[in-house]
Amino acid sequence: MRVVNFAHGEFLMLGMYAAFWAFTLLHADPYVTLVVAAPLFFLVGWGSYALIMRPIVHTSHNVQVFTTVGLSIVLQNLALVLWTGDARFVRTSYYTSVISVGGAVLNFAQAVAFLLAVAATAALFAFMRWSYTGKLMRATAQDRAAAALMGINTDRIFALTWAVGITLVGAAGVLLAPVYAVYPTAGLQFVLIAYIAVVLGGLGDMVGALIAALIVAAVEVIGSYTIGTAWKEVLYLVLFIAILVVRPAGLFGQRGSEAIGA
Amino acid sequence: MKKLIAAGAAGIALAVHLGISQAQSLKGEYKLGVLEPLTGNLAVQGKLHLEGYEIMRDLINSRFGGVMGRKLVLVVGDAPDPTAAGSEATRLATREGVKIITGTFSSILCGAASEAAARQSVIYWETSCVDPRFTRRGLKNVFRTEIDGVGFGWYNIEFIAKYLAPRLGKKPSELRIAFLSEDSSYGQGTTEAARARAKEFGMQEVALEYYTFTTNDLTPVILKLKDAKPDILHHIARDQDAILFWRQAREQNLEVKAVVHAGATGYGNPGFGKALGNEANGPFALSEPGPGFLIDKLQPEGQKIEHAFREALKAKTGSDVPAGGHQLAAGGLWLLKLALDAAKTDELDKFRAAVLKMDLPVGSLMNGWGAKFEDSGQNSNERVQHYMLQWQNGELVSVWPEQLTSKRAKWIPLGPWNQRK
Repeated sequence: MRVVNFAHGEFLMLGMYAAFWAFTLLHADPYVTLVVAAPLFFLVGWGSYALIMRPIVHTSHNVQVFTTVGLSIVLQNLALVLWTGDARFVRTSYYTSVISVGGAVLNFAQAVAFLLAVAATAALFAFMRWSYTGKLMRATAQDRAAAALMGINTDRIFALTWAVGITLVGAAGVLLAPVYAVYPTAGLQFVLIAYIAVVLGGLGDMVGALIAALIVAAVEVIGSYTIGTAWKEVLYLVLFIAILVVRPAGLFGQRGSEAIGA
Repeated sequence: MKKLIAAGAAGIALAVHLGISQAQSLKGEYKLGVLEPLTGNLAVQGKLHLEGYEIMRDLINSRFGGVMGRKLVLVVGDAPDPTAAGSEATRLATREGVKIITGTFSSILCGAASEAAARQSVIYWETSCVDPRFTRRGLKNVFRTEIDGVGFGWYNIEFIAKYLAPRLGKKPSELRIAFLSEDSSYGQGTTEAARARAKEFGMQEVALEYYTFTTNDLTPVILKLKDAKPDILHHIARDQDAILFWRQAREQNLEVKAVVHAGATGYGNPGFGKALGNEANGPFALSEPGPGFLIDKLQPEGQKIEHAFREALKAKTGSDVPAGGHQLAAGGLWLLKLALDAAKTDELDKFRAAVLKMDLPVGSLMNGWGAKFEDSGQNSNERVQHYMLQWQNGELVSVWPEQLTSKRAKWIPLGPWNQRK
């Protein structure tokens, strides 16, 4: 779609709140909530596209940036008004459970979130590569006008693409709720690093984004341990700049791929 | 029974009448600017502070004769970040015409807000931020009622050396201490002051780590701390980082003998206990007095305002246990009222002279504070009595100084995670 959604973190925050309220009011485990939340966020995505994105999706990038930044601020403050700024926590029965792998100790919910994220990335990759709808999405991204001339309902494809994106980030929010505190600006701490992973991997390249995310995480953790915690942002941002200097399209992206939707 | 009801009704009527007549006798209004972060990620604390100001404002107007005989009115500005803090301070001064601004909770906000106030020749009365630089810029318009970061560090090491060390069966010089802090001026100011004081006691510094408080992973630093094997962890946290650290420390089974923090944020924030329940048991936080505080140990005038505030707080919120934000804001506003009443003006030179002349012993104000302002505008750290609180079964209770509290510290040393009950 070539639209960078700066409100992505806030949809993540809404996913975290969905898990929190389902857990608090209905005693629903986040993994049960996930089953209900995914279709719910699909509808949220479709609705937000129809109300907010459809009028601006064909306008300049500046308009899209300002609109999604505005949406981000609105959602943050809506959450603040509705649920206050208090940090909430989803304390499940496995809240303190850990998994030991070799000498490493992993939080159970964090490990599950990682595995499901990898599975979702693989599923999305397969959907985009081999399904008919995925091909329509790629065709629309490559050349909107040509796709329309071939009879593709591009508006519907845009809506579907946006809704799939919101579904995935909403699901991510539900998965992160047992790991992190839930509060109105909770999404902000993930947005920058997610954006770095996407650009580093190569815009439009899902496998590239996944590998880049692992590289950023490794640099962050190893750098924090060996050099100092204060340096961790510096380290991965220096790496980010260095790679973009050598490979402007990212590690796995092809030059100009963002323009052809490869 | 009827007589009892009649007597009760008469009592209530008299109290209401006295309150109303007190408020009616106030001549005109006095507008005071209030700047707090009411949106954004500092909003939780900002709102607590605003609630503290509002309760104290109502108390001052209804029972203590307003300020300078006038009804105190608050004009509120939202300061979620330094840029907004500066522009809102300017707006309060130029559009609302206030002569004094109070606020601002965070050390990242008070510098920008007070610079803007200075440009408009407006007095800046800080009640909460602890950045040591705040009163070291040579500005004549700034005053701070709260202790500064240096005082935080001083108190924390005093507690570690004189209270914890004997209970751990060690001399202060035998203690291995690690310093961990978020990297704002609040965290750095407090940590550096504590490091300097720890050096005076000969404590062995085994680690020093700073991090950004919005981080979403503290595992690497926890692994480093496990390697360093400190007895004491001096951790200055600011927000959700305390919750994240505590949860991850448990996962990685980091065991230290005590964790000591300073301030109403991080471990000092009620949200820490809400998020973790009994899992929160153990860490200490230097702050304003919590449950267990012996109000009758204060000076008579200190007891009077402390009781009045807690009654008003209970009427408004249903709880007579104030949060740190309530106490800092209300305590600072009460001190401002005393200063204005003494100066009888908000004209800077006369107001400043009245503030510097104040000499109130510890225990005469809210929170057991006293007042003796230095030429820099800082209330002297010795007069701003502080208290060490500890999380005990979902409650942050006062445990030190022991003569000012009925509660006692537990889990020294902390011991295994599953035995802190």
